[in-house]
Amino acid sequence: MTEPPRETRVLDAVVSLVDTLLEDFDVVDLLTELTERCAQLLDVAAAGFLLADPLNQLRLLAATTEQARELELFQLQADEGPCVECYASGQPVSIADLRTAGDRWPRFVPAALDAGFTAVHAVPMRAAGIVLGALGLFGARPGELSDADRLVAQTLAHIACVAILQERAPTPATVMPQLRSALASRVIVEQAKGLLRESLDVSVEDAFLLLRAYSRANGEHMTDVARRLMTDRNARPVVVSAIAEFATPST
Amino acid sequence: MAIHEQLLAAIDGRRGTEAADRLCEACVVLFDVDAAAISLVFDGANSGTLGSSGEPARTYDELQFLVGEGPCLDSVTLRAPVLVIDLADRDEGRWPVYGPAMLDLQIRGVFAMPVVVAGEYVGALDLFRIEPGQLDGEQFSGAVVAAELAGAPLLDLLDGDLHAAASDPLSNAWSDLNSLSRAEVSQATGMLVAQLDIEPAEALVRLRAHAYATGRTSTDVARDILDRRLRLDAD
Repeated sequence: MTEPPRETRVLDAVVSLVDTLLEDFDVVDLLTELTERCAQLLDVAAAGFLLADPLNQLRLLAATTEQARELELFQLQADEGPCVECYASGQPVSIADLRTAGDRWPRFVPAALDAGFTAVHAVPMRAAGIVLGALGLFGARPGELSDADRLVAQTLAHIACVAILQERAPTPATVMPQLRSALASRVIVEQAKGLLRESLDVSVEDAFLLLRAYSRANGEHMTDVARRLMTDRNARPVVVSAIAEFATPST
Repeated sequence: MAIHEQLLAAIDGRRGTEAADRLCEACVVLFDVDAAAISLVFDGANSGTLGSSGEPARTYDELQFLVGEGPCLDSVTLRAPVLVIDLADRDEGRWPVYGPAMLDLQIRGVFAMPVVVAGEYVGALDLFRIEPGQLDGEQFSGAVVAAELAGAPLLDLLDGDLHAAASDPLSNAWSDLNSLSRAEVSQATGMLVAQLDIEPAEALVRLRAHAYATGRTSTDVARDILDRRLRLDAD
């Protein structure tokens, strides 16, 4: 089977993502899709966007994976690892072979190797002269990012910045509230995953996939559905039953 | 010293309303405003001023709950900062009652930054200026940081068992604030909402209180809830 050349796939991805930006879109959903595109185009096993909150702590906004172990790995990077270094310096960080980096990040490296990753990379996300966070990439095989890879990653990271900041031209004053709002959306999505885990007795991974599929099928934003689940007490049982019904149609 | 360190130094380990007052006092010093207050818009009955830089600030802030309009209410509804450079500006008609009332009290500039707890917009940090004028870039970003920190005293207020937490030397609301935003804590919060039929902010308070009571981290408690090794009792 022949695959179209990578240039074509990159352009395809960019066009489709920018199309989404021109419509009404959901920021967590779109950023999750961006991480999926990253993984495909860059041949990495996992990718995630870590964004800084106002206290300069990196927080995970979206990732290719909802696996607890891999999420943990992204979160660990709030303290040490390529993403936090990339965020601090504003420069890309690339580790072709993690086994050589044990001294640099004594907690992150063993955890990443354990999870089956051998290469990690991070590219910065910037707007209005501020570094907002980093796109982290995890490879299952050792290897450098080529210049072309880095350009692709940087392009997708720029699209993510635009998605987060789309409402207004970015200035330091507008960037932070919008970042906070995106991070608050993610908190609500995580809560909704927990709520669905409990109510429908599914894993948190499946809860996310279900929430996303249900929202898309109903032409709604995932964060709006999540917000209704979490903040509208009266709507909660109705939405939970609708999602349960969506998961296992009765007829 | 970074702005969040200056604000933390001003709070000096205090909790609850005392922490909120100190945060407001620090805002007045650091952001060149004349008064600051933190208010909570939770459910209609639970609205009000939590902390302030002093009596005038409390008056400016409480007035909006009396008249039913104002910066805190707007910033929660809009989930965004509200910035009014000059209430005396003719084109500035957003608060037909609150605006003129504040002008009578000699306040021209009003700014509100929303406060987020458990992903929910629950209140705002309100800043007041006697002279009209914009917050500059640093003052604005400082105020956003202060609003982020204001989440901790708001959580304290929601926690009925605050004294137990405050007297526990292991508990540190401020280092806690970061771990409370982690994915597993949010997921466990969602599970508690379903298990106990409570609202997310209360669920987060319960999770945090259990962590204090057992001397564990919020993250550990969250993992146990997620893996169904731990169930918190209904009240």
